[in-house]
Amino acid sequence: MDMKRAYYEDIELFKSGTILFWAIVLMVGLFTLPLFSTNYYLYLFNLIMVHVILAVGLNILVGSTGQISLGHAGFFAIGAYATVLLMTKLGIPFFPALILAAFIAAFFGFILGLPALRLEGPYLTIATLAFGLAIMHIIGHMEVFGGRSGLRAPDLNIGIAQLGWNLTLTTDLSKYYLILIITILMVLGAINILKTKVGRAFVAIRDSDIAAEVIGINLTIYKTLSFAVSAFYAGIAGGLFAFVLGFFDPITFNFFLSIYFLVMIVVGGLGSIMGSIAGAAFITYLMYALFKNISDIPYIGDFIVNISQRWLSITGIDNLSAIALGLVMVGIMIFEPMGFFGIWIRMKKYWKAWPF
Amino acid sequence: MSWKKAMKVMLVCLFAVVLFAWPAAAAERGFDDKEIRIAAWGPQTGPAAPWGAVARGSKLLFDIVNEEGGIHGRKVKFFVRDDQYNPAQTVAAVKELVERYGIFAFVGGVGTACCQSVYKILLDNKIIWISPCTGARTFWDPHNPYLWNIWPAYEDDASIMAKFAVEKRKYKKIAMLYNNDDFGLDALDSVKYRLSKYKMELVAALPVEPTERDLSSQIAKLKTSGAEAVIGFCAPTQAAIALRTSVSLGFKPQWIFTYNLSDYPLMNKITDGLWSKEGVISSAFFIPSFADHPLINKYRKAQEKLAPTERWGIFYQAGIVVGEPLLEAMKRAGKNLSTAAVKKELDNLTNFQGVGPKITWTATNHKAPRSVQIWQAGPNSENIVLQDWTENEISRH
Repeated sequence: MDMKRAYYEDIELFKSGTILFWAIVLMVGLFTLPLFSTNYYLYLFNLIMVHVILAVGLNILVGSTGQISLGHAGFFAIGAYATVLLMTKLGIPFFPALILAAFIAAFFGFILGLPALRLEGPYLTIATLAFGLAIMHIIGHMEVFGGRSGLRAPDLNIGIAQLGWNLTLTTDLSKYYLILIITILMVLGAINILKTKVGRAFVAIRDSDIAAEVIGINLTIYKTLSFAVSAFYAGIAGGLFAFVLGFFDPITFNFFLSIYFLVMIVVGGLGSIMGSIAGAAFITYLMYALFKNISDIPYIGDFIVNISQRWLSITGIDNLSAIALGLVMVGIMIFEPMGFFGIWIRMKKYWKAWPF
Repeated sequence: MSWKKAMKVMLVCLFAVVLFAWPAAAAERGFDDKEIRIAAWGPQTGPAAPWGAVARGSKLLFDIVNEEGGIHGRKVKFFVRDDQYNPAQTVAAVKELVERYGIFAFVGGVGTACCQSVYKILLDNKIIWISPCTGARTFWDPHNPYLWNIWPAYEDDASIMAKFAVEKRKYKKIAMLYNNDDFGLDALDSVKYRLSKYKMELVAALPVEPTERDLSSQIAKLKTSGAEAVIGFCAPTQAAIALRTSVSLGFKPQWIFTYNLSDYPLMNKITDGLWSKEGVISSAFFIPSFADHPLINKYRKAQEKLAPTERWGIFYQAGIVVGEPLLEAMKRAGKNLSTAAVKKELDNLTNFQGVGPKITWTATNHKAPRSVQIWQAGPNSENIVLQDWTENEISRH
């Protein structure tokens, strides 16, 4: 495909004028989007971007380093709780609190990375799964974390209250811009990481950890680092999620969330940043919006309601979105095991050679 | 290379169209001359799906209204949204409904966390909301002018249960099994307060984690305490496990559970009939589901006709209970419908009763009634009323 002749070609952010052009169009589109959409769509976009940050981070771990994690809902929860508690209990301003929370999540990621040195495949999956479940229960058990009844996020003041600079974001619109900027920074960060020595070490570990060790990559450092980086991303995502939702309890960060996160990157394409973005956006859309109002579509809606009442259960119509989500996942795995990224590559190849 | 340029132009156009065609419907008042839009959310899929029957019960009530010709000439368009018991989904559903369709009122609302997550959205939009299906304190303290409560506070429920155990049944040794969260802790505190009035103390009080599945240590401790009656504040699954475990350990106290467990057919199903066999007692705040009561008969008949695949039970009935006061207030408000008019009627509702409890609200008090009944499970899952409506006379709120 893209033949690279020099190192600088590889680390270039925009490889051609076309890519630069489309990137600018995308940015303009993203920044002007609120002009055309209602709060509901902004909320949906906020959720999508939060999931994008998380998926990009998870993909560094799963796709690039080859270490599986079913515990990312745990890091997500740590990010959300730590951000809110640092702000409410210690009065730390939003940005330092968010970054501190992400470092706390990263620390837990580092801790979880230690058993990863000895465990592989299904065994590592179980260990991370246990971590995710344990975090949920520890939080639920302790009154300081709001117990099982959950926490209400404070006002999103991105200024520094101690110095009298206050800038409170209350609308979905203002939160959209905040999250958009952070998402862009985080995605650029991930692209960058993968092009440095660290990123190459991750990929080497994924391809063969013994070979990687032989050529001088310190497995202890890089495997734990991968967990920490990934958890850092989840922490940032969690901190933003807390303010998108405004209220959360431990059950919000349940085991199924971890599975959905994994599904996002598998559907998007393992090891690909653009794939993670596409996967996160697609799965979030399926989960939150697809078929939710199908019965309100004239004619087609009634028809589908009839079918579901006859063939599915009494809750019929709502089963449809779950069934559709499952079918889409199965379909992608069968027809395009590389996910959206695979489709993208094939499209690119096709057009390069077109019309031959 | 002209095709490439053409492609680019086409894509830009497509992009622009997609961008501009983004639906941007304005929020409406929630009704027009032909219809009133009312909505409910509930878990229709996922692990909490049985509770989703509440939202469908409300739908039945408004379907009946539409069959009868609507409210002052307006039909009710009723929306049910599946949130899978996930607060993030509840927010998405509520925002979509409010912005795209304009909703006049929300009824019900399963899941304390789900209700909490949309509390502010509904309040900010001044949308009428009749009763989250929970007795949690946050929904009436502080007072919310657009939210009316029907579910009795857990502390009132617990207090009346303890009173029944001491005064009617003369139990000397009472123990408690409670969920280790606000739900259970509020109740524990209230039972202790009630017992202190009789100079009594709990012989044992054991917490259950909401996700715990092995309760043998708790039951063994209850057994050694020699309790004659155990007051239970836990989820259906834990109640079923507690009952099974105590029977298998040969410990047979009188179990008295909270109103959340008053769906006896369901409880009998998950305990293989032990619920009836042990004669479990629970509190309740509805007209018994299978009573020979004119309204119950009317709704059951309508359900057989309009929603034949549904199971008639407490959760389904709960949906009707949350809808009735709204319906009554809209009828009383007359032809000139508005949020203010309906709010005024709701604020002036006095001793209104449908198939739920007697409701009285004022402009400054939207709290739930303080009365519950005490029922016992009969041999065929029927509700035997042991004690009629009793008010918690020592309520602290």
